[in-house]
Amino acid sequence: MVSLMRTIRSVRRVGLREWWRQMQYIGDAKSGTYIGKDQFGNRYYENRNAEEEIPGRHRWVDFAQHDYNATQVPPEWHSWIQHIRKDPPTNDVVLQNSTPPWKAPYVENLTGTRGAYKPYNTVVPKIKAWEPTVKSRA
Amino acid sequence: MFSRTRLVLGLQPRLTFSLPANSTRNAFIARRLISNTSSSNAQHANSRNQQEQLSSRVDERHSHSAHILPQEVDAQGNQLNAYRHGPSALDKAVHLFFFTEIIRGMWIVLENFFRPPYTIMYPFEKGPLSPRFRGEHALRRYPSGEERCIACKLCEAICPAQAITIESEARMDGSRKTTKYDIDMTKCIYCGFCQEACPVDAIVETQNQEFSVETREELLYNKEKLLANGDRAEAEIAANLHSDHVYR
Repeated sequence: MVSLMRTIRSVRRVGLREWWRQMQYIGDAKSGTYIGKDQFGNRYYENRNAEEEIPGRHRWVDFAQHDYNATQVPPEWHSWIQHIRKDPPTNDVVLQNSTPPWKAPYVENLTGTRGAYKPYNTVVPKIKAWEPTVKSRA
Repeated sequence: MFSRTRLVLGLQPRLTFSLPANSTRNAFIARRLISNTSSSNAQHANSRNQQEQLSSRVDERHSHSAHILPQEVDAQGNQLNAYRHGPSALDKAVHLFFFTEIIRGMWIVLENFFRPPYTIMYPFEKGPLSPRFRGEHALRRYPSGEERCIACKLCEAICPAQAITIESEARMDGSRKTTKYDIDMTKCIYCGFCQEACPVDAIVETQNQEFSVETREELLYNKEKLLANGDRAEAEIAANLHSDHVYR
């Protein structure tokens, strides 16, 4: 009954309220150390104890929005939660040094909404539509 | 007593229909099912006789009749081939292991029932990704903010799917920049040749794999979209290139 013990242990750690929230979203009782929070309010957790969390499930995000999707994670935290980078962006020196001053604000994937990307031509079209002109009759 | 007679009565028509002599005659009366009805046109006329001749002799081999049949004894009184009529050692082993295999398989299921789940709960948890992962494209800028692409069109030339379209012009200060940099993401095969061909690391494939869209038009990226991708993810791109630069 390892799974039941794990659930009871996580509920005792995070409390009933947080456990209820986890069951509504992640669908599993998890407990770990709080790593940080991004600019959208998503909270990131980690539990590197292999006895408590299966390796591969040891980093997770608690989305701030109810209508969550994976693209709400900004790129810096995306590289942490996908295990591309070892350290979280709050104390990753390489990531902080390579952040340019002209960094654009991140927006999630807006497909299906009015903010979705619409392709347009960036040059003058080379093909002109035929504009018929009628010669004046004599 | 009464129920038993009813049971016999209920079974009787089925028993009679299963007899081969009556089956053809009562074919329209009997309840026809696909599972118990033989296809009439797929068999030869004498197929019934053939089926009676064909037998796997499973009953014979399972009956352990070796001790019933007369033993063959040679002149000294030793038994000759005592297991000839019984099941072979291979038959016994097959039955033993194939039967226990079911129980062994069900035991593994039972074990995993009590183990913590292996399922990665996407999008809350995600599997590991390489810093060289080839996802959505982006056009990068220099740290000064100047766009890197010099319109050399090497990526357009090497693209095996011919997904990239580039048009260029000389700018007012004399530097050649692209006016049109379109990638048809529906054509792209994500081979990564464009970022390998690029002499200035302008076009890269970011680690973003979550750019699914609802319409096909949204996948026809132009230069502004690609630059916007790069502007958002520049920290991640640069950090990944930094972590990988010793292997390049």
